[in-house]
Amino acid sequence: MGTVTPVYIYEVTTREVAGLTDARGDAIKAMLASDHGVSVGKVRVILGYQVRANLSKIEAERAKHDLFTDPIIETASLDNPLLNNQEIFQKPPDIVIQVGFKPGVTDNAGQAGKDGLDTLFRNLLPEVEVATNKTYLFWDVPSNVSASDLARKLHNPMIERAAIANRIDCQRSNWPSLEFPDRPTLDQATPAIVDLEVSDEELIEISETGLLALNLDEMKAIQSHYRDPMVRKERQGLGLHPNAPTDAELECLAQTWSEHCSHKIFAAKINHKDTETGESSTIDSLFKTHIMKPTLDIQKEVSWLLSIFHDNSGVISWNDNWSLCIKAETHNSPSALDPYGGAMTGIVGVNRDILGTGLGARPIANTDVFCFGPPDYSGNIPEGLFHPSRVFRGVHAGVRAGGNESGIPTVNGAIVFDERYLGKPLVYCGTVGLMPRLLPDGRESHVKTPSPGDVIYMVGGRVGFDGIHGATFSSLELTEESPSSAVQIGDPITQKKMIDMIIEARDEGLIQVITDNGAGGLSSSVGEMAELTRGANLDLSVVPLKQMGLSPWEILVSESQERMTVGVRPDDCAAFEVLAELHEVEATAVGTFTDSGAFVVRMGEDVVAHLPISFLHDGCPQLVLDSEWTPPIHPEPILPDISQMGETLLRLMARPNIASKEWWIRSYDHEVIAQSVIKPFCGVNHDAPGDAAVIAPIHGQTQGAVISNGIVPRYSDIDAYAMTAASIDEALRNAVCVGVDLDLIAGLDNFCWPDPVESRKTPDGRYKLAQLVRANRALDDVCRAYNLPCISGKDSMKNDATLHGEKISIPPTILFSLIGNHSDVRKAVSSDFKSIGDQIYLCGESHQELGASELSYMLRDESAGKSGIGGRVPEIDTTRNLAMYRALTGAMNESLVASAHDCSDGGLAVSLVECCIGSDSGAEVDIYSIMSDCNQIDAWGALFGESLGRILVSVKPEDCKTFESAMEGHACYALGTVESGDNISFYNGGERIFSSSMTNLRSAWKRTLDGGGQ
Amino acid sequence: MNQVRVAVLSGFGINCETETMAVFEMAGASADRVHINRLVNGEMTLDDYHIMAVPGGFSFGDHLGSGRLMGNRLRFGLRDQVKRFVQSGKLVIGICNGFQVLVKMGLLPGDDEVSLTQTASLALNDSGHYENRWATLEFDPNSPCIWTKGIKRMRAPIRHGEGKFVTNDRKLLDRWSESGQLVVRYVNPSSEYPNTSDEILPYPISPNQSWRNIAGVCDPSGLVFGLMPHPEANHSTWLGATWTRDIAEGEHGEGEGMAIFRNAVEYAKENLQ
Repeated sequence: MGTVTPVYIYEVTTREVAGLTDARGDAIKAMLASDHGVSVGKVRVILGYQVRANLSKIEAERAKHDLFTDPIIETASLDNPLLNNQEIFQKPPDIVIQVGFKPGVTDNAGQAGKDGLDTLFRNLLPEVEVATNKTYLFWDVPSNVSASDLARKLHNPMIERAAIANRIDCQRSNWPSLEFPDRPTLDQATPAIVDLEVSDEELIEISETGLLALNLDEMKAIQSHYRDPMVRKERQGLGLHPNAPTDAELECLAQTWSEHCSHKIFAAKINHKDTETGESSTIDSLFKTHIMKPTLDIQKEVSWLLSIFHDNSGVISWNDNWSLCIKAETHNSPSALDPYGGAMTGIVGVNRDILGTGLGARPIANTDVFCFGPPDYSGNIPEGLFHPSRVFRGVHAGVRAGGNESGIPTVNGAIVFDERYLGKPLVYCGTVGLMPRLLPDGRESHVKTPSPGDVIYMVGGRVGFDGIHGATFSSLELTEESPSSAVQIGDPITQKKMIDMIIEARDEGLIQVITDNGAGGLSSSVGEMAELTRGANLDLSVVPLKQMGLSPWEILVSESQERMTVGVRPDDCAAFEVLAELHEVEATAVGTFTDSGAFVVRMGEDVVAHLPISFLHDGCPQLVLDSEWTPPIHPEPILPDISQMGETLLRLMARPNIASKEWWIRSYDHEVIAQSVIKPFCGVNHDAPGDAAVIAPIHGQTQGAVISNGIVPRYSDIDAYAMTAASIDEALRNAVCVGVDLDLIAGLDNFCWPDPVESRKTPDGRYKLAQLVRANRALDDVCRAYNLPCISGKDSMKNDATLHGEKISIPPTILFSLIGNHSDVRKAVSSDFKSIGDQIYLCGESHQELGASELSYMLRDESAGKSGIGGRVPEIDTTRNLAMYRALTGAMNESLVASAHDCSDGGLAVSLVECCIGSDSGAEVDIYSIMSDCNQIDAWGALFGESLGRILVSVKPEDCKTFESAMEGHACYALGTVESGDNISFYNGGERIFSSSMTNLRSAWKRTLDGGGQ
Repeated sequence: MNQVRVAVLSGFGINCETETMAVFEMAGASADRVHINRLVNGEMTLDDYHIMAVPGGFSFGDHLGSGRLMGNRLRFGLRDQVKRFVQSGKLVIGICNGFQVLVKMGLLPGDDEVSLTQTASLALNDSGHYENRWATLEFDPNSPCIWTKGIKRMRAPIRHGEGKFVTNDRKLLDRWSESGQLVVRYVNPSSEYPNTSDEILPYPISPNQSWRNIAGVCDPSGLVFGLMPHPEANHSTWLGATWTRDIAEGEHGEGEGMAIFRNAVEYAKENLQ
């Protein structure tokens, strides 16, 4: 192949028609100006297709017209650079850059081209190959910007190649032309034996050079397994080396035991000290003690917790006919290296967790929460990292493509900025799934039903060199040596076809067990399901590959995307394969489940791995770690004179953490499936921020589901307990704002931590681990108090980057996500004020809690650190809050509440401005009642403090009396009224503090993150 | 006729088939999810249906131009079935990606002969990117379009990156306009009805800067109709963009978008066997 098959080169660009612009070029021009401050005159884009196929010249011409070109709006060439066509490009460009993928990188447009050729010319496959590229043409480039400067901004060398024509090349018509991206031929390594009868130092070296991410204790546990005479005897009988693991075995153990897959820090024994209280105690697994135990205790009290902790996502019963499941994942390390591909595989990956729940759930909603360095960061960027604005744009584009193309709405999310996310951005991708309680064949959909003898199918994409070592890599810190094979680009359409097929197979009763191929690939998916039947046989020689030459261990652990592993009864295999063919999805029988007690992997006839199930899943030794808590001390914020308050609010509205994210959120499809009741936007101009999402996923029915998120990493700087409590309260508060049913709420805890294990590289490990202990205790306390069981969760524990000796650790961050019931979506409440004259109330108590507030951080940043973040971080009072939330949702049920909006980042003042944006109105409020009712609070604390448990509501004048009596016994302060006009005015006991123009506030709020244009 | 049967196409990245089936069922029809390959392999046939719907989605990821690859599957793989269906006076709707498919395969704006020749296209939005936002639509009262009879205005979300309706022969626009084929246009929501304009309205009233503010078109017969916005996403009042402001308690019910599907189902009941 390759030497005789011709390669045709197609080039396509927008036709020159009046009223038609090259919007691709315009978008690049806007991006360069917005993200890089580079202003060029004009940009045009040419799309290129390199087609290697046995087509005649006539057929190749036909493909140009019928496939590659839109005859109305595009013009194209075959085997002749468009740049030579002077009718199109009268004036030669200054600079030309062609960007294409590196060999082996997923090329979705190329795949689509191949499919299109198959429609036109049957029987061409599988020999045909299509590679795509883009050529960017620039005119009027500032003289201080070189071609290579531009090229760096337009491609990511980790996955892409660029060919450049600089100014001189362009004068000589020397156009760039990339070679066809042939995959290099790989030599298949024969299965190797790894000798573990070596010194401790050498054991560590084996782990490090092999990217196994195993510590010495773990390596020694493996060593002693292979010293067991019983094990040796059994291995001898199988023709395996008796005294040492094969490379496949060692890799499989490393994947299964990785921090990513087995959560060793959460399972560790921790000796915890608190220097403030003198406490000294031992915690045997944070997970079992503080996450699992509270949920199991709540499970005894309620009937709706169907499946928790043992599946790909937790499942709750929503009503008699349907259940819901939810899961969130992080994809931080891949997103740092390739923001687009990393984020896209994050979202399509978590979709597969839902698809792999029970016997298969349908993903119906995504949530995306990101943490980035500041978009306007002007400091030094260590080599190997991208500027935060580029990470932001790439991550956003990745989840946009992943979610939109999969037909799953992005219903809720958040974006948080902090300098410490420069080293590792956090990319939290969450998905909600829906499944019928019972399948047509009568089985409960949340229970897997595997039996020995079931055939193991690998379904979906093929296995390639991409995606090797993702799980172990994410269990290591990021360095300049981080491998490119850990980065992948998702293929949402292959996955969408697979989802359609799996859901149909589920409903036909063809699935007995299913899980996704994520971290660890087949080694994890088959290995985990083998635990259910106590054994599996897997034959790697039949696994479909993207490229020949992969070694057995590589096939076993590759995390190539878009794959599910499914167990099918032998009698159902034929029907399963027919469905796969219909949907054009590859499904291959790769083994069988057994009850042999071992996971046995063959390559054809040869056994390459034989791992006892008990050792694989229970053999990893428990870590023993030390933690020590000493509260940090921060100077108090230096508050400006009260006359500066209006100006301060204006600057606060423009802070990236508070500013409108509309430009970014609009490009997510948030309404597909036609279920969206409370959307990301509300208000008269559809531009005010919503709180929680409400969806009504069964068309025509009015029962809904509420989805919300809470994240406040700033508070970790004072206390991770407060940070965790605030995150949970924020998620619940948001849900309360739309009228959630407080008797059916469930949570998801998603921890992202810097490495908390004390070592030479992490001298402050004890403190970071103590932060983790305190966070877990908050989770335990608050979730119990709110009757909010955590049904699923995830942790990512190595969010540090060391580049050229400089270590950047993220602030300990928890994303708390919530899913709840909504009894009647017609009573859902949105955040925008509704009518002039409506009365404004603040529900919940305010205290002088400016510690780690957005205001304190702004004052710190503006004073170059002279002003401190303070010590009084918002404290939680769960009893008081929950009682108020119950009263308020009760009032919503009686339709007494016109609007409700959460008070969080920036406090009451910001919340009030946002409500006014939604109604295109002004407001007059008097904070005297807040001040008189709470001790030691000043106007800054009242307006900008972030005390928990507060919701700003508005009520129609005629409903005020009933509303007030509904809220009797709870903190609820009448503040003022919604006013017509442009002014928002704040008073204290009738005395005006300040008044601001809503026009100015709105434009400050909209400008910061406007994405570079319309 | 007893039961109006609707074939809602699925597969290859179509993703609005569930709600598209739901709205036809709410309008009194029975709807089947029909994977395109089931029509190609003969397991099912369009002859059994009165209405064909090509729902929204991202068929083939919009690569090589939105709707092109799916359009080719229909144009080359199902040519005779599709032509027979249209020529027998049955109804077709394409929504969003489905509209792009019908335009790229030449069924819209189309011709009397159903020659399947492409005469228009949907180019990238002038913004250069995908957007989800609500738009206000106005309908041509003199259009032959079966689907839009009696509808004046409607609010519906647009969710697309390539929705700018253009052609390479501007004279065609006048012809389509005269024959009532330019049936749906973006309109300023604060204007009085009727208020369509050939001048391109400012962004975001016209979210994509479509020529003559065209949001959807029909074929000369009025039986085949397609539009970029998603009327099926406004099937109930509680899905509107501003329903928490506009709809009083007790006023809830069917959404504005349902009129389109009711028109088609009523027509099929009365006119098709």
